[in-house]
Amino acid sequence: MKRSAAEVLREYGPFPGVDQVAGVTFDGQHVWFASGDRLNALDPASGKVVRAIDVAAHAGTAFDGQHLFQIAEDRIQKIDPKTGQVLATIPAPGGGGDSGLAWAEGTLWVGQNRGRKIHQIDPQTGAVLRTIDSNRIVTGVTWIDGELWHGTWEGDESDVRRIDPETGKVLEKLEMPPGTGVSGLESDGSDQFFCGGGNSGKVRAIRRPRRGSTSK
Amino acid sequence: MDSLITAAARALATGDPLGALKRVALRDDAPALALRGIAMAQLGDLVRAKALLKSAARAFGPKEAVARARCVVAEAEIALVSRDLGWPAKALDAARATLEKHGDHVNAAHARNLEARRLLLIGRLDEAESRLAGFDPTTLPAASRAAHELVIAGLAIRRLRTKAARVALARAEHAARQADIPALTAEVEGASLVMDTPAARLIARGEERPLLLEEVEALLASGALVVDACRNVVRDAGMIVSLATRPVLFALARTLGEAWPADVPRSTLVARAFGGKHADESHRARLRVEVGRLRVELRSLADVSATKRGFALKPRRPRDVVVLAPPVDEQHAAVLAFLADGESWSSSALAIALGASSRTVQRSLEQLAAAGKVQSFGRGRARRWMTPPVPGFPTILLLPGSLSGY
Repeated sequence: MKRSAAEVLREYGPFPGVDQVAGVTFDGQHVWFASGDRLNALDPASGKVVRAIDVAAHAGTAFDGQHLFQIAEDRIQKIDPKTGQVLATIPAPGGGGDSGLAWAEGTLWVGQNRGRKIHQIDPQTGAVLRTIDSNRIVTGVTWIDGELWHGTWEGDESDVRRIDPETGKVLEKLEMPPGTGVSGLESDGSDQFFCGGGNSGKVRAIRRPRRGSTSK
Repeated sequence: MDSLITAAARALATGDPLGALKRVALRDDAPALALRGIAMAQLGDLVRAKALLKSAARAFGPKEAVARARCVVAEAEIALVSRDLGWPAKALDAARATLEKHGDHVNAAHARNLEARRLLLIGRLDEAESRLAGFDPTTLPAASRAAHELVIAGLAIRRLRTKAARVALARAEHAARQADIPALTAEVEGASLVMDTPAARLIARGEERPLLLEEVEALLASGALVVDACRNVVRDAGMIVSLATRPVLFALARTLGEAWPADVPRSTLVARAFGGKHADESHRARLRVEVGRLRVELRSLADVSATKRGFALKPRRPRDVVVLAPPVDEQHAAVLAFLADGESWSSSALAIALGASSRTVQRSLEQLAAAGKVQSFGRGRARRWMTPPVPGFPTILLLPGSLSGY
């Protein structure tokens, strides 16, 4: 396993009226982050929140290219980002103990916080297709270029780690600076991850290791 | 933090403990236990709250020191509100250190406030003051700031610094309104009542009148010779002679002070000091001895001179002599003073606060209960004592936030 210190490239926020950042996702243009009763669209270039949708938003957030998915209490809402309307709702696999959310290849991946698990579920029904065990509290989850990454946060220790989606084995770890946690995770599709900062009310961009430099 | 915990924490923060409970009622993981504990505390079930917070502190993992410390602080606050003063102050101190080390300054400040409130309640004023020395409350949330100013005001009242007390109470009121918690505002108003309620009685030249705290402060600064029956001392502006452990000498001083500038017949002194109805020869002899002792104690403040029919107090320098007495002369005044805060106390907590034995306190409480001046509830160790409730005087819980550690 390869371990290194996470390199924080930029910090966004804290933002007015936001006391907590839960899930984060990226729609190619804006970083969406959940802050309890709102989904906020952040312009990563200017660092400003340009739009917000009033919707219950307690944990992970994901984007499938067309819709936003947002965990609230013990369910996952499918939201039209244009109108802000909740189009459908499915049960969350962790029964409310759910944290991170990611979209990949037609399925949703859901982190179960203290359950220390990641579930792959059917986005239509919520049926669990597969479960991977982690040995840490799971926060955010994201897929990028066939790699499964998730955030962990226990007390003062937090990291972003790549795991083998078959076995759950930890392949690579980016350790966050002490006191800096990851509450939500999403890649920008290239060389950055966006990380939710929990009660700090911040969103951070960290460097994703270059392809080819990672090894199994 | 997970989804339902976030939702429950938000419900708690907006003053909806039932909404919080509804979301985590069936969960037994550490953050859920902690949130349930706080919700139960806000709903008034302090026994259940305490048990839940204890198990939450145990359930948090070894790496979750901050979450664990927050549970300890919440537990300590519940203990303080239940007037269970025997709780381990060391655990709170350690929790505060942990919170400070991890940069949770708001909850660390909350812990420090709790320590100071406990010390104030049990009358260890110097320690309470040193706990708050150099402490800057400006960065705290409004509710914690109000609680902090109440401690400052309480200290100033005990120290008879009424101006400082009024300033602190005004700041507390402002912060309570900002926090927008009606129970907190009511608590500040209740505390402010102390300033407008007679704190003592003045007995001078045979006349009595009630004194407000501010008038007491002015009297003690005036240079008059004060026989202070609130603390059993004789004092002027510069000097204090304590007769707290000499009840006979104090009774003599008080009787002489009440009569000043007149003298007091021997028979009156004998009756007041020894409880005897007639002054026979043995009483007269004993009186001479005790007056001699009093003379030695008071020598730098006043003389006790013999007159034809008894004795008179003669201050060293030309000044008035007055007696300062509690608002109501009451046999168990000290016990009642603690119970006057409207909270329920265990007899062992009262014993700690008064520095007396549990037996002594128990006897006082039984006598006061027989007279209908106090009431008790619960049995055995869980028994609590209080004065008949004063309306609108709650002690609000300001439990520390975000227990799950994010």
